[in-house]
Amino acid sequence: MSADAGIAGRRSLERAVVVDQVRRFADTLGIVAIAGALLLGFGLTSSQFLLSGNIRNIFVQISVVGVAAIGETLVMLAGGLDLSVGSVVLLSEVICADLTATHHLPLGVALLAALGAAGGIGLLNGVLVAVVGIEPILATLGTLLVAAGLAKLILGLRYLQVDHPVFNDLAVTNVLFNLPIMVAVMLGLYLVVSIAMRVTPFGRMVYAVGGNRRAARLSGLSLIGVTIAVYVVAGVLSGIAGFLNVAQIGLVSQNDGMGLEFQAIIAALVGGLSVTSGGVGRVERTLLGALIVGMMTNYQTIKGIDPSFQQAFLGGLLVAAVLADRVLRGRQ
Amino acid sequence: MSAIRSKLFAKSYIDTWFLLIMTGALLVAFRIVQPGWLNGHTVQNLVIQNTPLALVAMAMTFSIISRYIDLSPGSMIALSGAVIGLVYTAQGSLALAIGAGVGTALGAGLLNGLLVSVVGLNAVMVTLAAFIWARGLSIGANQGNPIDVGSGLGTVVNANWHGFTLTAPVVVVVYAGGWLLLARTKMGRYTYAMGGDPTAARRAGISTALYTVLIFLLMGAMIGLSAVITVGQLGSAQATAGLGLELDAIIAVVIGGTRLAGGEGSVGRTALGVIFLSILNSGLLNLGLTDSYFQLYRGLALLAVLSVQIVVRRVTDEEERRKREQEQLSAALAAA
Repeated sequence: MSADAGIAGRRSLERAVVVDQVRRFADTLGIVAIAGALLLGFGLTSSQFLLSGNIRNIFVQISVVGVAAIGETLVMLAGGLDLSVGSVVLLSEVICADLTATHHLPLGVALLAALGAAGGIGLLNGVLVAVVGIEPILATLGTLLVAAGLAKLILGLRYLQVDHPVFNDLAVTNVLFNLPIMVAVMLGLYLVVSIAMRVTPFGRMVYAVGGNRRAARLSGLSLIGVTIAVYVVAGVLSGIAGFLNVAQIGLVSQNDGMGLEFQAIIAALVGGLSVTSGGVGRVERTLLGALIVGMMTNYQTIKGIDPSFQQAFLGGLLVAAVLADRVLRGRQ
Repeated sequence: MSAIRSKLFAKSYIDTWFLLIMTGALLVAFRIVQPGWLNGHTVQNLVIQNTPLALVAMAMTFSIISRYIDLSPGSMIALSGAVIGLVYTAQGSLALAIGAGVGTALGAGLLNGLLVSVVGLNAVMVTLAAFIWARGLSIGANQGNPIDVGSGLGTVVNANWHGFTLTAPVVVVVYAGGWLLLARTKMGRYTYAMGGDPTAARRAGISTALYTVLIFLLMGAMIGLSAVITVGQLGSAQATAGLGLELDAIIAVVIGGTRLAGGEGSVGRTALGVIFLSILNSGLLNLGLTDSYFQLYRGLALLAVLSVQIVVRRVTDEEERRKREQEQLSAALAAA
């Protein structure tokens, strides 16, 4: 009897696992289908949209947001929120540009310094959230101000022109079909982080902390360590996004990176990250989210829609993404 | 006498005492750095400049207590203002324009409230969307340029009495009304109940959907009022009006001692938070700092206050716990 019950129990468990896998697959497939449908629809209604030059544009345009969104995704998966992304991007840009253009230091030193500062702000975020215990939205708002203040302090009222050949290469030299190095950097980072989230203990810890804090703590995970690590990784990724932004624009100015955190959050949510149940979402799907947003923006620009109304539309898209999460995954 | 004293120094007031001390320290610090800063005009200017912050923060108290943080007010003030400007330009009637502007704010509040309560979406994300779309629409309304509304509204809003404008009594009335609503009415009790435990509130028979919508409508009303005042003060609707106001309002509420986790807080505490934040902003601006130092100091000051607040709480919680354990121990010993 009990053996039968055991077998039945295992069968139902196996079935549940299969159902769960099918559902996850359908989740991803749904996002891919939406992206595909948009690609098809936009391609049919615009003669320019599918030109290889335009596809290249879309990828170049999303690479900065795309890289920043990886970090935002990790933070949100761990149950946090990072509003300092845009400011950290600016800080990284300014340090990197100031050290190379004004102080003529080698690029490697400048990159290390910028990444160090970006990781430092991430560390501050992590400590404020995990050790001190300030809510993420307020702690990262504070560091948003601090990082933006520091960046503008160094920058002053200048524009910094960056004409280092490496940055030029990042944006111009094609490596993958006709896609430049910066796009390859973004895709590479997505590849590395998605694999890391699946196979490394760090990835499992992030999901565990976001999914069930209490269970994670009781099973011996260091909540403080994981939270700090996630914010530091997010900071460093924002720093890298800063380099890509310098490469793309070739110029550093006061308003760079403004509002980037919201674009990153939208990319993650459109990619299917759940806001109601923590620990649900995939890094690689955030890339699809960023692509969907990028295609929509690009299409609207081709059709000559005013940027301010494009922004209004983006707000609507965010509601649609949250609505889809609610319909697919149910109430909290 | 000792009863009053022990009540005044009770644990629940520790945040208030802490904030009062911080406010005092801030005043002294600014006074030392810039002796001419604090005078009669400072107070008047503080009230005039921070009216929208004060109004939105009052409604934000309800939002945070009920755990429905609202990120839309800054952008919505700009959008309501733009509607006032557009309708005034098209129809020439100020009354109609104000009606349309306030109606827009209430309509958006209703929409957000329904999306959160009936559809069941996450409040932060719904209002983040509004933060984005409303700003987009308000910039699109006139390609980002100000929309002139003439001087009619300005003469009322800026009517001067001993240096105070009409906004001073408005703020006082709104806070008195807000205090009554939160501390003395059914809606207030339900606001606490929903924030404390949403499931329990629903099971206790509270129509949480209705009261959620009402909380968003209250915010809508404060947004509408702030939009009218902002447009009146400037004589035109600006696309950048209210930029960052929602975050300032949240900070004011939290610094006042209301916890972001919901279920507790008061309008009085928010008033103190608004006063602290207004003094901080005004004092820093008055130092003639560049944008960079302003942001840097503001960020550091906010993080410092929030950190110390939490540390103070932890210490008092710990003391409380120890005292309780001691009592339990002595009770157990007495029983033995």
